[in-house]
Amino acid sequence: MGAQQREYKKRIKSAQGMKKIFKAQEMIAATRIAKAHARVLATTPYADAISQAIGAVAMHSTDFAHPFLEQDRAQTGRVAILLITSDRGMAGSYSPNAIREAEELGNSLRDEGKTVDMYIVGRKGDSYYRFRNRPSVKTWTPYKEEELALLGHEIAETLTEVLLSEDPAVHVDELYLVGTRFKSRFQQFARVSRLVPMGIVEAEDGGEKPTFPLYEFTPDAESVMGELIPRYVESRIVNTLMQSIASEHASRQRAMQTATDNAQTQIDKFTRLANTARQAEITQEITEIVGGADALSGSGRTER
Amino acid sequence: MSALEVTFVTSGRTVWSGQAAQVVVPAADGSMGILPQMQPTLAVLGDGQVRIIDADGSVAERTVHGGFVSVDSDRVTIGVDDAELLESDH
Repeated sequence: MGAQQREYKKRIKSAQGMKKIFKAQEMIAATRIAKAHARVLATTPYADAISQAIGAVAMHSTDFAHPFLEQDRAQTGRVAILLITSDRGMAGSYSPNAIREAEELGNSLRDEGKTVDMYIVGRKGDSYYRFRNRPSVKTWTPYKEEELALLGHEIAETLTEVLLSEDPAVHVDELYLVGTRFKSRFQQFARVSRLVPMGIVEAEDGGEKPTFPLYEFTPDAESVMGELIPRYVESRIVNTLMQSIASEHASRQRAMQTATDNAQTQIDKFTRLANTARQAEITQEITEIVGGADALSGSGRTER
Repeated sequence: MSALEVTFVTSGRTVWSGQAAQVVVPAADGSMGILPQMQPTLAVLGDGQVRIIDADGSVAERTVHGGFVSVDSDRVTIGVDDAELLESDH
């Protein structure tokens, strides 16, 4: 077998190996999307209930204050961004998109003269900032997919603490959340949302603003709010985390599908080239034999 | 008599949803009963049992630690961190 053929065979082998890996990754991602999506759906009723309750309180009672509701919280000019990325690669543009959103947000905040503190979930975001020598304040990595609720709780606790801190070295004014919204298996968007200070009514997706009845508060509006707001922050963080994970799997599935197709194209291409090379070799051999025979018969010798 | 439309959720799942005749929740300042036609209310929950009583008298009970309940035109939403079944229900 010729050197050229051997080279093509080697490439076909390696493309076949990679194709198997991509295919396996794709199938794993496909099964995990369903699970992750179910988890998103499971947290939605709670998130809805809490958003509605918050909206109701905020709309009707203006006679109380909560540090998260104050529109002007500027004390230290420090702003926190919670960025959610993945721990692993092979997920197409999932992590880079989220990082880009965070960078854009960070730049526009820095233009306003604010200092940006990064809080990062996931190894990809962490290494991005570490490589550029801009260490983050806190990172959560690696994280376990089964324990997102716990992780969300921990993150919420950490962030609430710095938001409420009186210490000027610690206090942050605002909190932004950069995650990926899972719209469907085919559509995910990196998205920025401001968590603190809170908008009074958040009309998500540009929907109609809901109207709320005049509530009676037990024991009183202020303690209801004190109870609800930390829960709201936590539920938003948990929900964003879960949507991001679902998006990660969807993104990985798509990337791996493309990679599998690509590997197949490579295999086809190299198979053709290998065939051509083999054919060329055979043709050459025949030509040599025929040429040799012709030369012999031309020489006039009768015995071999 | 109209019935209550109850949704009972924890942060991770829906525990109970459906129609009920009466709901008793452990509000922060004492047990609170909810019947149809109650005025819209938002309450903080303390520790205790949530009891959901069906039209035919069957009772679903869960132990909760903190949370909130909202009542609005016969729609009751109970949101808690975690709900445990009572020992006696097993």
